[in-house]
Amino acid sequence: MEEAAVTVRGLEKSYGSFKAVSKLDLDICAGEFFGLLGPNGAGKTTSIHMMSSLVRPTSGRASIFGLDVVRKPVDVRSKIGLVFQDSALDRQLSVWENLRFAGLLHNLPFSLVKERSNYLLKLFNLYEKKNVPVAALSGGQRRVLDIARGVMHEPKLLFLDEPTIGLDLPTRRNIWRYIHQLRSQTGMTVLLTTHYLEEAETCNRVAFLKNGNLVLTGNPKQLITELAKEILEIEATYPDKVLDSIKGLLGPALQEFETLFFKIKKNNEVDLVELTAGLKQKFGFELKKIIVRQPNLNDVFLWVNFK
Amino acid sequence: MIIRPVFAVVERDLVKLFRQKGRLLSALVRPLIWLLVIGAGFDTLLESTETGYRSFLIPGVLGMSILFGALLGALSTVYEKESGVMRMMIIAPFKHYWIVFAKMTAASISACVQVFLLLLVLVVLGDIGWSVNWILLIPSVILLSISCAGIGMVVAAFSKTLDNFAAIMNFVIFPVFFLSGSLYPVNNLPGLLGVVAKLNPYTYGVDLLKHSVNVPLGGSADFPIFQNVAVLIMFTLLAFLLSSWRFSREEASNVWFPVTKKK
Repeated sequence: MEEAAVTVRGLEKSYGSFKAVSKLDLDICAGEFFGLLGPNGAGKTTSIHMMSSLVRPTSGRASIFGLDVVRKPVDVRSKIGLVFQDSALDRQLSVWENLRFAGLLHNLPFSLVKERSNYLLKLFNLYEKKNVPVAALSGGQRRVLDIARGVMHEPKLLFLDEPTIGLDLPTRRNIWRYIHQLRSQTGMTVLLTTHYLEEAETCNRVAFLKNGNLVLTGNPKQLITELAKEILEIEATYPDKVLDSIKGLLGPALQEFETLFFKIKKNNEVDLVELTAGLKQKFGFELKKIIVRQPNLNDVFLWVNFK
Repeated sequence: MIIRPVFAVVERDLVKLFRQKGRLLSALVRPLIWLLVIGAGFDTLLESTETGYRSFLIPGVLGMSILFGALLGALSTVYEKESGVMRMMIIAPFKHYWIVFAKMTAASISACVQVFLLLLVLVVLGDIGWSVNWILLIPSVILLSISCAGIGMVVAAFSKTLDNFAAIMNFVIFPVFFLSGSLYPVNNLPGLLGVVAKLNPYTYGVDLLKHSVNVPLGGSADFPIFQNVAVLIMFTLLAFLLSSWRFSREEASNVWFPVTKKK
């Protein structure tokens, strides 16, 4: 049995009559890369705040490496690093001053503060910006620095709350490269929240949250394979008409605005080539798009919410 | 140990203080305007007093420098909550009352820095000389700085944004300053004003400064030194406990993660 990094049982948080998180159970092993997924307002951030001892649960328990978050908050905080959705950096101070501040707050000796920040700035390609005020950095650089800030004290468990939100694609890719480098070098456990689901496909395991409830957990590749062999995606001006004409042939369809999604199972017996040709002929220009593609986590997520 | 984190908070606040030259300068100019303009103006009005109003005003302006310095220092906590920097402190592995302790220490030190600069100017101007009781003055200045940092921390612990900074000025800084013995002897204040001034802990700090500055020059103070020191220490402890309690409460999570405003 591997060491448990996170153990959560029946964790709940209510604000008045509103349940932000409801009866959450979660087990994360040491060294795992775990994704907590779900739409905005699903309770991801509140869960992270409870697991990191910053918000007191209404009921239930959570422990980090065996330490209860309510009874031993200080010990818990010494094991974890947290990168919040919004920056925690001081924009008036320089890059190096921010890392120094974070390091000293975690009681690192001065020499180690220097060593760690130099190492991280080099790893994250920010070394040249060492003495630049944070206010002068780009949004992506600031995010990278915030992550460096979060791992200054070499936490055993890192919470990343929407680390790539609002960033462009190249910057997002860079950030993931840095995070994977860190993980391979330190074996650190990472708990990630995101709603860019394609970013979570490299996770060892993911869990979907919906309205404060956990609805599905598993290995992302396995979840995708279990969902379907392929996805048939049809975009049409009148999707209802298309749906009527092939009803019953392919099972239930998921509709998003003008697009229909069908799950194509392994044992599917319908000839898709024939079907698409028929549809093209029947609907002509009303058919905007028709493709058969590999399923991904987005599909898993959509179907979870469809049920 | 907790020394390094406290050092980090103090260091950061002092670095920022010395970078904001305008803040340091205004901390000097504000009390000097009071002393040189109001002091000189009232001197012509009150010809009969023995030691002169300008001389009477010196503890008041020293207190003013301390009050503004410590309060602005402590109120930076509110800015830290708003900007998110507070998150770096609340996830660090120590009890949250240490944040209150560190911020109070930082605010006290920056108030001391400002008042010592002012003292230097006053010595150069000839308002303060060797006749002053320096042995009492220095500890009094330090004690009042800590107490004023306490006033500031209580306000900071209960404020969510700096949007109401004007309200803080009007409802905290000005009443604390005007309803004290800074501008007039407390014993002369009539009725309710006198009562409020005697409830104001800052009054006792200024009175302590009067003991060290005015009394050696032939002036008078309102309360015995022992009473002043006792009130200030009691108040500071109370302020520390109150703000620590507020900081450690669960509801503080709402304060640490304020609903972000659309910009």
